[in-house]
Amino acid sequence: MKFEIDPEAPDSIVRRDFLKKLGAASTAAWMSGAPQIVRGKDLEHPEAKADACILLWMGGGMAAPETFDPKRYAPFEKGMAVDSVLSTFPSIDTSVDNIKICAGLENIAKVMDRGTLIRSAMQPDLGSILHSRHQYHWHTGYVPPQTVAAPHLGSWMARVLGPNNDVMPAFINVGQRLEGVGEKEELKAFTTAGFFGSEYGPMNLPFPEQAAQSVRPPEGMTQDRFANRNKLFRKLVDQNPHRDYASSHQQESLMRSMDNAYRLLQSKEREAFDIEQEPKEVREIYDTGRFGRGCLLARRLVENGARFVEVTTEYVPFLHWDTHANGHDTVDRLHKEIDRPISQLILDLEERGLLDRTLVIIASEFSRDAIMEGKPGSTANDQATHKVDQITEAKHYGLHRHFTAGTSVALFGGGVKKGYLYGKTADERPLVAVENPVTVTDLHATIMTAMGVSPKTEFTIEGRPFYVTEDGKGKPVMDIFA
Amino acid sequence: MSCFSAHAAVDFAHDVVPILEKHCTECHGGEEAEGGFSLNTRDLFLDDETAVPGRADESYFIDLILDTDPDYQMPPEKKKRVPDEQLAVLKQWVNEGMKWEPGFTFGEPAYEPRFAPRRPELPAVTDGRTNPVDRIMDHYLATEKLERPDPVDDATFFRRVSLDLIGLLPSAEETRKFLADTAPDKRTKVIDEFLSRDLSYTDHWLTFWNDLLRNDYGGTGFITGGRTQISTWLYDSLKTNKPFDAMVRELIAPPNKESAGFINGIKWRGTVSAGQTLPIQFSQSISQSFLGINMKCASCHDSFIDRWTLADAYGLAAIYAEEDLEIHRCDKPINETARAAWLFPEIGQVDAKADKEERLKQLANLMTHPENGRVPRTLVNRLWGQLMGRGIVHPLDAMQTEPWNVDLLDWLASDFQENGYDLKHTLRTIATSAAYQSATSNEFDETGSDAYRYSGPLPKRLTAEQFVDATWQITQAAPTSYHAPIVRGIVPPELVDRLSFPSSWVWGPSVDQGLPPHGEKILLRREFIPSKPVRAAGVIAAADNAFVLHLNHQQILSGERWSDLEAAPVTQKISKGTNLILMVAENRGPKPNAAGAFCAVRLEYEDGTDEIIVTDDKWTVSETVPNGNRTGQWKLKEMKWEPARVLPNTTWKKQTDARIGQTLAEASVGSDHMVRAALLKADDLMRSLGRPNRDQIVTSRPNELTTLEAVDLSTSETLIRNLKKGAETLMSQPDLAPAQLIEELYLTTLTRFPTEEESSVLKEALGTKPTVEDVTDILWALTMTPEFLITR
Repeated sequence: MKFEIDPEAPDSIVRRDFLKKLGAASTAAWMSGAPQIVRGKDLEHPEAKADACILLWMGGGMAAPETFDPKRYAPFEKGMAVDSVLSTFPSIDTSVDNIKICAGLENIAKVMDRGTLIRSAMQPDLGSILHSRHQYHWHTGYVPPQTVAAPHLGSWMARVLGPNNDVMPAFINVGQRLEGVGEKEELKAFTTAGFFGSEYGPMNLPFPEQAAQSVRPPEGMTQDRFANRNKLFRKLVDQNPHRDYASSHQQESLMRSMDNAYRLLQSKEREAFDIEQEPKEVREIYDTGRFGRGCLLARRLVENGARFVEVTTEYVPFLHWDTHANGHDTVDRLHKEIDRPISQLILDLEERGLLDRTLVIIASEFSRDAIMEGKPGSTANDQATHKVDQITEAKHYGLHRHFTAGTSVALFGGGVKKGYLYGKTADERPLVAVENPVTVTDLHATIMTAMGVSPKTEFTIEGRPFYVTEDGKGKPVMDIFA
Repeated sequence: MSCFSAHAAVDFAHDVVPILEKHCTECHGGEEAEGGFSLNTRDLFLDDETAVPGRADESYFIDLILDTDPDYQMPPEKKKRVPDEQLAVLKQWVNEGMKWEPGFTFGEPAYEPRFAPRRPELPAVTDGRTNPVDRIMDHYLATEKLERPDPVDDATFFRRVSLDLIGLLPSAEETRKFLADTAPDKRTKVIDEFLSRDLSYTDHWLTFWNDLLRNDYGGTGFITGGRTQISTWLYDSLKTNKPFDAMVRELIAPPNKESAGFINGIKWRGTVSAGQTLPIQFSQSISQSFLGINMKCASCHDSFIDRWTLADAYGLAAIYAEEDLEIHRCDKPINETARAAWLFPEIGQVDAKADKEERLKQLANLMTHPENGRVPRTLVNRLWGQLMGRGIVHPLDAMQTEPWNVDLLDWLASDFQENGYDLKHTLRTIATSAAYQSATSNEFDETGSDAYRYSGPLPKRLTAEQFVDATWQITQAAPTSYHAPIVRGIVPPELVDRLSFPSSWVWGPSVDQGLPPHGEKILLRREFIPSKPVRAAGVIAAADNAFVLHLNHQQILSGERWSDLEAAPVTQKISKGTNLILMVAENRGPKPNAAGAFCAVRLEYEDGTDEIIVTDDKWTVSETVPNGNRTGQWKLKEMKWEPARVLPNTTWKKQTDARIGQTLAEASVGSDHMVRAALLKADDLMRSLGRPNRDQIVTSRPNELTTLEAVDLSTSETLIRNLKKGAETLMSQPDLAPAQLIEELYLTTLTRFPTEEESSVLKEALGTKPTVEDVTDILWALTMTPEFLITR
């Protein structure tokens, strides 16, 4: 249900709507410390290549040599030297001649011709390597701590672009629990709209299979009762003798939010949250676990007008991609969890004609290595839980250190080149990016450019400028765009 | 344009300034710093070799002026180029060393607020309005030819002042009483009464101070030991209305660790930028909280927005630093060591050579010095903002901004100082003024602070804490325990010892056959008669896996974690005759497993003796549990009862026994005060309603409702469950006719009687036989109205 302005409608309605929007902007200006957009007029935004963005987040540090950047394969042998291990999976061909990826990702291999693979993403050394700090950096573009609460990438899109469909929340975050997991406070610190305020914050759906509940009337309330309750609310507001006490803006903003909520809860778009509605055979393809179901949910949400959806394999310290031990076996399982859902997501979007206008990103806070922590010359503590020189047990076999000098990012759709390889890491340790390094700041600039947002977009908060890419300095990697 | 002679040296003020003003400062001067570049001062101009004195050919800004690439050239593509002869002036000026008028800045000539205290003469009294605030305001309104806002009616005043001073909705009963009171001074009396409710006042203002001092009970840094709370100290300070100057002294120069968390900031793991080290956090925090200065800009480079410089920021930081502090500009060292100094040397300076403890003491003394007018101004401005919806200086953290009424600010600040920095005194002064007791303004200030004209207090959206507290008041669904490490009553240690005893756990007859089945529900029952008059009473309980406890047919406690001792004060609920405890306990899990229930009631008699009633074989148990929770209608006599089985299991005891004394003591000495949202860690709802993370200092709360909040409020099952409880409570009152019920609903939620139109809408909704669902939905609709969410 997309509301278009009827060309026959009287001019005044259009204008009133416009004034409402203006009202929202001026409240922001009025509130103490609220951010104000600056240079809205003369800043030129690039032409958008994508309308929606899906970030597939491999939380915990996805090892590039175990996924998208295979190196010399060293099969498990008792007594092998740890430093002989670069990759624990052999490489396989993909649909692109010059791109090989790791065995276990056979389905993704088939769709590599729909996207661009960057192998030279880099992260700064932040002293002690901490997932949540690097994740904060990746998601906000700023290294924590910051003097103001930095907004999440999704909140930037929600703030600058809004939803594709008025009914849908612009920023939806799938798969990450924010309670009951380690480092939850650190996760919350960047899973937020920060100084933009919660209007632009994430709708958090940690369990994709339960997403439908969050847009349904409360358990046990019939649709009839729900509709009557809303009617009653309306009547009480209309009868209220004090309708004019607050500024019209304040009342309007409140009523608009209630309206928006009611509209979403009554809309056909709310069905998008219900993955049970997919045919059984589709559900089966996606159902490799919570992440797989999240990919299916993301597809449905984007089909219905969400602007930014993040789906994560979930960051929980020492679980999933956070392989401090037993790396090979864990990644083997993760391959199975991500391979089919990701490739199916790409194919589904393509089939629906949405891929060209949807940017799908596979990324992680950093890569991993069997022996090197951080990057060459880093003073970061070695955080492997089993420090051995020789691999005597399966649990030693894997990439158990955090590596920040060469990380893979895969991009599909959204105007990126098809079947393109950008950047390169060394073939022997240290596996650093040796061609076209891409910083977090430039990666952000690239993503925002695809979405039609200038990397120099800035807001003033507490009297200082705050840019969508760090200090407005992000330069998009234009080479990856078609 | 001046005549330019190739031979004469360039004159900065006459030759250079006009060129820079014509072509550059629109974007790079004053408050503008496009691309992060400002040429307000010479130092700023030299940043990143934008200009190199003596070397025009190496100066980046000259290159940019010469550049013809539309992406790079300056001024930007669509602006006029710098004419050749002017460019020549700039080059010559650079080559001659870039002479700059000392102290000259392209920054706006900023308003410089007075630092010293000032007590303005009070204008004459008009119309018998004697409150000093009104004397100043009436004079202001007359001078500015502004209309005096209408006075507000009693009901609106009562709701507003209750929310502002203690953060709670008045109950229907309190409202009736207040409205019926005919005493002329009833408003002042109620203000005094609210301010004297120490616990309610503290619970409410805790939110303001936690925000201001970025204190919380969990969050970044707490887990890793990089941060400590000041909660216990803060709660005590508010409870005893500690003078604000004493609070500032104890925060800046902590006498012990209780108040040390504020200056110690957050120690982040890993490396942090130079702008976030502990000394710099200290500099930023004390500047923002107490001086209304944003030192965040100046801790990286000389500020573009006010007069503070990098040296000022580091001077403050060096007061706190343990070791020599190297100054960094934009994260790069500049080979200078900071010298400890504070910002207003006119009243004295910190001795840079003294040790840290002494330096902090000296700073604390300067902050609370009688000649320091800035600290009291900053604070009274915040209090005014809390009550009136907007500061006299706006924004609250930018005290260099011109106030819209300097006399009002100066008078309130000096009055605050002269009255011993008494927070309640200033709150009382504002709340008793006719200005505060005026109708709210619905004029929206759309133009920014310059054009602001006072037209009455502004409506304020309920804070996250106020909203949550209000729903708990309406529904009586407040939790029974909280996270803040504070004691709301006073618990003597010997009492804790006296009330410590080993727990005893019971279950029903199913234990005779081994493990109780999963899903089994039992009903435990105990009757008792107090042997003497009761002074105080409290109850604690826990169960594996879940329980609901009723005392005299009122639900008192519930819990779903066997390791949590739930507790509640029940002094008012104990009757002189027979008292009845009913505890429904439930065993959960996928298969039969251990189950147990524990409860203890403490009766403190007026003669100082105790009686403790604890789950044992004097309790009886029924294996059938009636439906619903209206225990008054349960036919207990018709049910089959047998003695409860006392269990030998020790796992539960290990978890709970050590906490019994403290919990039971707090429950029975603590008053019947409802647990408040400010005492809990932020949950999703509070977060979405705008409670900040408190990683940073955030001194104002959002004024609007967002769509996601509205979705939450529309779909929340917890909210509906709670509202249903509230509906049941309202409907449990005997013989309540629909008209009375409607009146009760309005008084409870909106602190006023309904209009005829509103009554008829509700009459229709209730029908002839109102159901709990009807009342639940009315409660929901009323609590979502703008009138509920935005305080008039």
